[in-house]
Amino acid sequence: MIRQWISLSVCVVLQCVCVSASPQSDAEYFENHIRPLLVERCQGCHCSSTGKTSGGLALDTRAGWEKGGDSGPAIVPGKPQESLLVKAIHYEEDGPQMPPQEKGGKLSKEQIEAVVEWIRQGAIDPRSMEKTIGGMTANQAERWWAFLPLVKTAVPEADFAGWPRGEIDRFIRLEQEKRGLSPMPDADKRTLVRRVTLDLTGLPPTQEDIAAYLSDESSEAFAKIVDRLLASPEYGVRWGRHWLDVARYADTAGDGADYPVREAGLYRNWVVSAFNSDQPFDDFVREQIAGDILAEQGSIEDYARRVTATGFLAIGKRYGYSPTPAYQHLDFADAIDSIGRSLLGLSIGCARCHDHKYDPISMADYYGLYGILQSTQWSFPGGEEHKRPAHFPGLVIPAEAARLDQQKAEQLASFDADIAKLKQEKASLDGRLCAGGIDLGFESQSLEAPPAAPWLSQGPNKVIADAQSPFSHIHPTGMRGVRMGVGKPNDGVRYVFDQKIRAQPGGHIHFTIDFRTLAEATETGAFRFYLGRGVIESLALECSISSRECAVRDGAAWKVLRKLEPGTWYTLRVSIDSDTKTFSGVVGVTGDLTDFRGCTLPPAWDGVIDTFICDGIGHGDGSTPIHDLDNVGLTQEPFAEPGSGPIVLPLPGVDAKQRIASIDGALWEKTKQREVRSAASAYRVAYGVSEGKPMNARIQKRGEPEQLAEEVPRRYLEIFGGDRLPETSYGSGRLELADWITRRSQHLLARVFVNRVWQWHFGRGLVGTSSDFGSRGEMPTHPELLEWLALKFIESGWSVKSLHRTIVLSRTYQLSSNSVAEMDAIDPENIQLWRYTRRQLDAESIRDSMLSVSGLLNREVLCEHPFPDVTTWGFTIHQPFFAEYESNHRSIYLMVQRNRRHPFLALFDAADPNQSIAQRLPTTTPTQTLYLMNSPFVHQQSDAFAARLLGMSGGDQERVTRAFEMTTGKIPADADRDECLQFVEKYSQSLLERNIAPAHERDLAWAALSRVLMTSNGFLSVD
Amino acid sequence: MRMPLPMSRREWFHRSSGGFAATAFAALWNQVVGAADPLAPHAGHFPAHADNIIFIYSTGGVSHVDTFDYKPHLFADHGKKINASRWLNKSGSFERFLIRPRWSFKQYGQSGTWVSDLFPHVGGVVDDLCVLNAMHCESDGHDKATLAAHTGSAQFARPSVGSWVSYGLGTENQNLPSFMVIAPAAPYAGAQTWANDFLPACHQGTHVVPGKEPLPNVKPRVPVIELQKMELDLLGRLNRRHLDQRGADFALDARVRSFETAFGMQREAPEALDLSHETQETMNLYALEPGATSGFGWQCLVARRLVERGVRCVELIDVGSSSNWDSHGNMGDHERLAKAIDQPIAGLITDLKRRGLLERTLVVWTTEFGRTPFHQDPNHAGREHHNLCFSSWMAGGGVRGGMVHGHSDEHGILPSDGLVHTHDLHATMLHLMGIDHERLTYRHAGRDYRLTDVAGRVVREILL
Repeated sequence: MIRQWISLSVCVVLQCVCVSASPQSDAEYFENHIRPLLVERCQGCHCSSTGKTSGGLALDTRAGWEKGGDSGPAIVPGKPQESLLVKAIHYEEDGPQMPPQEKGGKLSKEQIEAVVEWIRQGAIDPRSMEKTIGGMTANQAERWWAFLPLVKTAVPEADFAGWPRGEIDRFIRLEQEKRGLSPMPDADKRTLVRRVTLDLTGLPPTQEDIAAYLSDESSEAFAKIVDRLLASPEYGVRWGRHWLDVARYADTAGDGADYPVREAGLYRNWVVSAFNSDQPFDDFVREQIAGDILAEQGSIEDYARRVTATGFLAIGKRYGYSPTPAYQHLDFADAIDSIGRSLLGLSIGCARCHDHKYDPISMADYYGLYGILQSTQWSFPGGEEHKRPAHFPGLVIPAEAARLDQQKAEQLASFDADIAKLKQEKASLDGRLCAGGIDLGFESQSLEAPPAAPWLSQGPNKVIADAQSPFSHIHPTGMRGVRMGVGKPNDGVRYVFDQKIRAQPGGHIHFTIDFRTLAEATETGAFRFYLGRGVIESLALECSISSRECAVRDGAAWKVLRKLEPGTWYTLRVSIDSDTKTFSGVVGVTGDLTDFRGCTLPPAWDGVIDTFICDGIGHGDGSTPIHDLDNVGLTQEPFAEPGSGPIVLPLPGVDAKQRIASIDGALWEKTKQREVRSAASAYRVAYGVSEGKPMNARIQKRGEPEQLAEEVPRRYLEIFGGDRLPETSYGSGRLELADWITRRSQHLLARVFVNRVWQWHFGRGLVGTSSDFGSRGEMPTHPELLEWLALKFIESGWSVKSLHRTIVLSRTYQLSSNSVAEMDAIDPENIQLWRYTRRQLDAESIRDSMLSVSGLLNREVLCEHPFPDVTTWGFTIHQPFFAEYESNHRSIYLMVQRNRRHPFLALFDAADPNQSIAQRLPTTTPTQTLYLMNSPFVHQQSDAFAARLLGMSGGDQERVTRAFEMTTGKIPADADRDECLQFVEKYSQSLLERNIAPAHERDLAWAALSRVLMTSNGFLSVD
Repeated sequence: MRMPLPMSRREWFHRSSGGFAATAFAALWNQVVGAADPLAPHAGHFPAHADNIIFIYSTGGVSHVDTFDYKPHLFADHGKKINASRWLNKSGSFERFLIRPRWSFKQYGQSGTWVSDLFPHVGGVVDDLCVLNAMHCESDGHDKATLAAHTGSAQFARPSVGSWVSYGLGTENQNLPSFMVIAPAAPYAGAQTWANDFLPACHQGTHVVPGKEPLPNVKPRVPVIELQKMELDLLGRLNRRHLDQRGADFALDARVRSFETAFGMQREAPEALDLSHETQETMNLYALEPGATSGFGWQCLVARRLVERGVRCVELIDVGSSSNWDSHGNMGDHERLAKAIDQPIAGLITDLKRRGLLERTLVVWTTEFGRTPFHQDPNHAGREHHNLCFSSWMAGGGVRGGMVHGHSDEHGILPSDGLVHTHDLHATMLHLMGIDHERLTYRHAGRDYRLTDVAGRVVREILL
């Protein structure tokens, strides 16, 4: 219900904004009555921007109707009866009748009257040639309050009978006085120490904290507490969490498979320590945008820290399945939206598909920033199609990273060499493994199915018995080959050798294959054999076979080697000389072999072969004939001559078998070791960004990446000067962006952050819409105070802790939260802060407070979640990652998941990690209450709290007092205390009568009392 | 006829607990801000045809041409080449082979609506169904299509249709959540499918997982309920004094009240999920074994019980994101999946009808998308995703039964008339609940949002 009240007030304020944003009622008349009409009924045919100007008339600009069409000016301001447009819409007989029948016919009577009235009033048309940026004119944008430079505001001088303790109080009191409001008295000391402790640390004060404050009667007592709390590490946990709401933090990536991100926590911990060390806020922002670049310019000690800070960009909801640009426009949409909302309080993200409708942000602004992000290398967290993380920036300096990369590469190469050696030995012991295994594994394929792994097949291909080659000089006669049907040119089969073959100096690479086209083949196209590295990454050899001839690529041309007969099996044998980049070989049938020599390989071939492909891209036109393939081989040893067979493979002997078994074991071991080494980073990495390839982006029409319009330079928002990258820039532009945000728009940055801090202290910002300072947002309730605070913040060197001190030491912060009807009637929402707004504990504070009171809280920093080992990751949208890890650490360290939210955090309205959250909207639901009543967690805490109470000295009366003080900060009233004592008595009695847990009835009764106190309003709310 | 609602939580609580929270303030609250309780039942924009929704969702994409869209030509033209405009997420021109359905079709009921042998029991109630054979949606990806079917947005996190209805109308029974989702496993996109997103959290779907503990924390953890009453009684006293010292505070009072509701839920939710008092005849109707605590029959029967108890929206999801209707490899899978839901769905319709509930309960069945009537391999056993045209149906709650709305072309590839987009389906559902989909808005991040974004048309042709 609170939410509804808030939204109601939003609507009211918004209406005011609309009016003040366009003060001219004439312009409003145009906007309400004329513009929509022109757009819907006229501009389809009369529009200069689309170039459709029937009769030479454009109605989408003022200049358009002033100039008019072929018959002269369309409108004479003030004189409807002389305006051609009016004649036309009246359907007067001697002129054009507009809009014509086929375009929907005559306007309604009301519409015609509206146009006439508009012209009579002078045809005010705000669509002048005045420059616009997005949804504002340049003039409006310049004058919009949030974009104006901060100026020193005078602090109200009135003394208010000595009430104010500082400047804030003077600003606040002045507004109260104007409205006849008087502030509540100060809160009592117990209330105050609980309020400020929960506010600054997210934990309740201990009995000792309370006692120390109560006994300190100096005037500095409260300031001392504030300093102590700000110096406590728990401060950063609390306020870092506030920032994480804005930064949309989660521990998983958020595409359908929701991959875990092991390094996300580094960013979280960075945020916590940034708050604890009171890092200047502008610096805090700069590092989050360009920490990796700053790191290279700064000292080595700061390197890891700064790179980690760029997690701010990477940590959003991801959309990609693999580390390719396919879905990046969505990742960038999230990043741009988050930068806009969290730092500048602007919905820049709205300009993705069209210029912003209300604020001065154009698509060119959006894609100017987009280019900067596109020039950045993003960490890829892992996804359905690529199940491993990639491109995480290292936390060591580049030289060290290169050394460690090199070291890792050498280790992997050493594993590869060992594995190759073992395989070679195995092959030498088992003849069946020669030439990569019989037919490269064809013989183990299922019949009547497309070739399966390790083969890749696309198109109508099938392993069949009929496709067995008759040649047996290299492989023993098998039972099957592959038949490739008539498919598309790109259909085919592919085999990737697990060992790259690189010809040794003086050595050769040998390739063989048997093939035929079917006898009935009439197709004129040709199929191709490809050999090289990767899928056409580095091409070595191409042969092309049609039903009538066989050719090889010799330099640039196809060289026909010989004629072929459909239906006949041929064998091909090629030897490649990588020294001379030439090849030679034979093709034919036994007794009819054609030699070829000295054919040239492409000069660009890099000397490596690891891939064989047969596809339909050969030298003839038309479909490829159905063809069969068999007996593929690729080795560094020469093959036997055609006709020299049949080869009979010796089965390995007993000794060899034993050796093979031990090789298999060693192979398994080495492969496993290699996998582990390969998966492990050579050095620690962060989930952040690094520099990519600099490029400008092109505008995407309607936000669709396929619909590209003109390129826009990388630059900052036009309203802040629209700085471009300097000519000399060779980076992504993020370093410049960091400077632009913290210098060109520093006043807005300060306003937005100061307002957030205010909101987190008081429950409501001076600007109610803390992530929207644009024309759709609320106006500040205390504009002068906001300006004063923002300027003071900058002058303090962007010190967040100073800002806290200024705010919490104000009298305004220290008022009682109680309400009185007279004031409530004037200002029910407490906008004027005549009392402190009582708050419900948020999700983290509930859990942390319970753990703190029960004594089970683990205050250590948590670094890693027990995620499954990366080598096992195979998450897909069908089998997404999901886990919930128990922990007694502070709740900031709970594993936050994007797609299936943590049950506790979701239940108690913690921030939704899928977008930048300006303000949590607490609710009170029965499912929450069921958790408070019956969850194992709450019962564990109450049991532990009871044990703690029972372990303390003193009697039951004292125990009840302690329990009250620890949970609510208060000493119980006599009535409360007596009731609690009676409760313990009655509860124990009731257990005894029922013979439940005999001898433990006291433990259970105290646990029950603990539970009551831990779920009472005195515990769950803050006065 | 609807069962009389169980006695109100307040009433019951007074009788059973000695009224720990019966403060003067609570009475004042009801008087002053009762209407502001977001879950209190409130009227829609116009008189509603239906009071409750049962939304049945089949995960993975059910083939339309094998279930509700009978295409004689597809049988006749099996193996023929056609040019398809979309294939595996790509647009273009693709030469593909038509594949005939494996199941034959029959005409059922007075209406003679065609239904395949996969759904013989649903065929038996077809006169209550309005089959939509020209459904279409924007995405042929599982995640996106699931989100679109539930939230209207394939891309961004938005509230679920059940949350919107809860927000629009509140709910009748304060002892149960307004929107409950009964699903053995999460569909694609996980809990986002029933999330409240920017709407107040009381509108989120409460996930019930069939099995031993369908609702978390609903079972009291104390040995006997009297002990819990003692705890709550003390809590009530402490809270009352706490409140008395502070003056009116909605949030504090809301928490006090929530303990009453939660206590009521402890009793009422397990009772609603307990089928032990259902007759054997009813159990048979839903194809349920005695003592069953899971299976789609259990889900359907529980749905009826929840509707009887005034739960505004119930969603039933048959399977999760694995082993579902996504029959790329073998359409034979459809048989197992259809068998699991066919009789339970028919049982639900029959049972609602004979109890007089169907008139005021809207039942909707839909899925992510259809499946291609063609394939690149003329002998392929599976079908791919097909979002250009698929089938859904609606029943009860103001929908005309025994009709087919919308038709596809002769092979079920493209819709030819009566197109219904996901937005249109949502607009129609809201309309039947008495809500104008263009006026049900929520202001968030500076603008008004609605379920149907800027689209959606009420399919008036199918209304009674």
